[in-house]
Amino acid sequence: MEIVTLFFAAILVNNFVLHYFLGICPFLGVSKKIDSALSMGLAVTFVMSITAVVSWIINHWILIPYNLDYLQIVSFILVIASLVQLVEMFIRKISPPLYQALGIYLPLITTNCAIFFLALMAALRDYNFVQTVIFGTGSGIGFTLAIVLMAGIREQLELADVPDSLKGAGISLIVAGIMALAFLGFSGMIK
Amino acid sequence: MNLSTRMVVVLTAIGLLSGGLLTSVGLLTEERIALNKQREIEAAIIQVVPGTRSSEKLYEEKDLSVYGGKNEEGSLIGFGILTSGIGFQDKITFMLGTNTALTKINSLNIIDQKETPGLGAKITDRKFFLQYWENKDCSISLSLHRPAVSAPKELGPSEINTITGATVSSEAVLDAVNSTLERLRKLKNEGKLSKKE
Amino acid sequence: MSTKSIREEFLKGLWDENPIFRQLLGLCPTLAVTNAVINGFAMGMATTFVLIFSSLVVSSIKKLIPSQVRIASYIIIIATFVTIADRFMAAFFPPVSKDLGPYVPLIVVNCIILGRQEAFSSKNTVGRSLIDALGMSLGFTLALLLLSSIREILGMGTFLGHQVMGAWFKPWIIMILPPGAFITLGILLAIALHIEHKTRSRS
Repeated sequence: MEIVTLFFAAILVNNFVLHYFLGICPFLGVSKKIDSALSMGLAVTFVMSITAVVSWIINHWILIPYNLDYLQIVSFILVIASLVQLVEMFIRKISPPLYQALGIYLPLITTNCAIFFLALMAALRDYNFVQTVIFGTGSGIGFTLAIVLMAGIREQLELADVPDSLKGAGISLIVAGIMALAFLGFSGMIK
Repeated sequence: MNLSTRMVVVLTAIGLLSGGLLTSVGLLTEERIALNKQREIEAAIIQVVPGTRSSEKLYEEKDLSVYGGKNEEGSLIGFGILTSGIGFQDKITFMLGTNTALTKINSLNIIDQKETPGLGAKITDRKFFLQYWENKDCSISLSLHRPAVSAPKELGPSEINTITGATVSSEAVLDAVNSTLERLRKLKNEGKLSKKE
Repeated sequence: MSTKSIREEFLKGLWDENPIFRQLLGLCPTLAVTNAVINGFAMGMATTFVLIFSSLVVSSIKKLIPSQVRIASYIIIIATFVTIADRFMAAFFPPVSKDLGPYVPLIVVNCIILGRQEAFSSKNTVGRSLIDALGMSLGFTLALLLLSSIREILGMGTFLGHQVMGAWFKPWIIMILPPGAFITLGILLAIALHIEHKTRSRS
């Protein structure tokens, strides 16, 4: 698939949150304020881009040549867990203020299905190196877009009179549903 | 043993056990999985190249596999072409059946798609879409025909009916088929489609 | 150490601590594979397999694992069983495996499984961990079945592939698409919370 098409498809058409249902936990948990949503989104995008690179390398230099496809699941998840640890230590050393902003969200990223899905999909669809990186970065941006939009809406919802039972997860999911509906309109954008 | 050693030992042990277990399961299921895939392809070939008794993979490149359907005597009676195109939502994988001269399409079999249910997904439906692909003349490029209620027109030998409300999916399949046929004609001229001796 | 009775241990996973409706865990697969009852059921079965075996292994060797590497260990164990489940399904149930696609491997990051290891299996006996796993799995599977029944019946007019709505019914296609998933789950969660509030105010 053409690079530009792939990039925009990842952000809008096949949005990881609103189309593939990934990253729902952070999506619901961290979308109360636009600031934290943006921080989480950027952290995720960062980890996703690196994961894309590392998982591609491991898949194409080790797993496939030695016919170890069935180790994909175990390898990828270990890669992600380690990467998140490394990224956390790295950011803490390089930029304490950045660590303050992103720090708490980083460990949560390990269980973010989006990252794992990214590694799996790139392997499944047999993307080459460039495609994998674009796919990873694009999907991360798509996630950030969805979560920031959600935060914007939820900040407004704070002022609305939501029935008790719907407060929290209920209304957030319904809002997500409407957002997903809107994003459906992007389908067919790519040819 | 001290803590660090213990950590390493435990992790290594678990890793090795996991690896061992996975390798055995992997070997056990490998054959079955490959068999399933092969069966799926064979069934598709038999469907799109009527009269096939056996098949053989003649050519393969990224995202395109050409199988030859052979009758009882072992002569080539048609091609089963496995390839894919980008649809409205995602990849559409299909098997196209043609005669050996690449001038006639026997039929089309959609193997995998993720189009909109109820609309684009109708490309798998014989009534709505696939019937128009049967016995089509493909010596020239195929084209789409939009069915109109007021003026029903006879479908030309190279025309396919679009699915109402699923133009993009219909066009995607058409474009994929046309470009695949072009590629195949080129391969045939280069002699790449002859039986492997 | 848990002090509940065996019966309570099992039942809590069905309602009080239902992974989806009360703990809000494992939402990704819940939304993704509930477009048809057979898919919801298969995912429930696969998750049950992984949860039971992971819990059994973790609670068996809990004393051997140093605390610092426990999460990594749990992950390897869980990933192993997920791979087994995935391969098994691809080999013996190809059509369902195709439909569920990459969501079976995603069981690895299903917070329910890792959550139970951390919260329960690592601190309880093998027997109790098994009961806990069974309860949670059943609760999860029932929630999946509920959601997928609603989505399949309203979205396609079928149940397990059989037509249940008459010809008069025009399927609400939206139900099998992402928006339908989000909205249905949102409403179900609200209903669950509402029931919880009602029973709590009554007691």
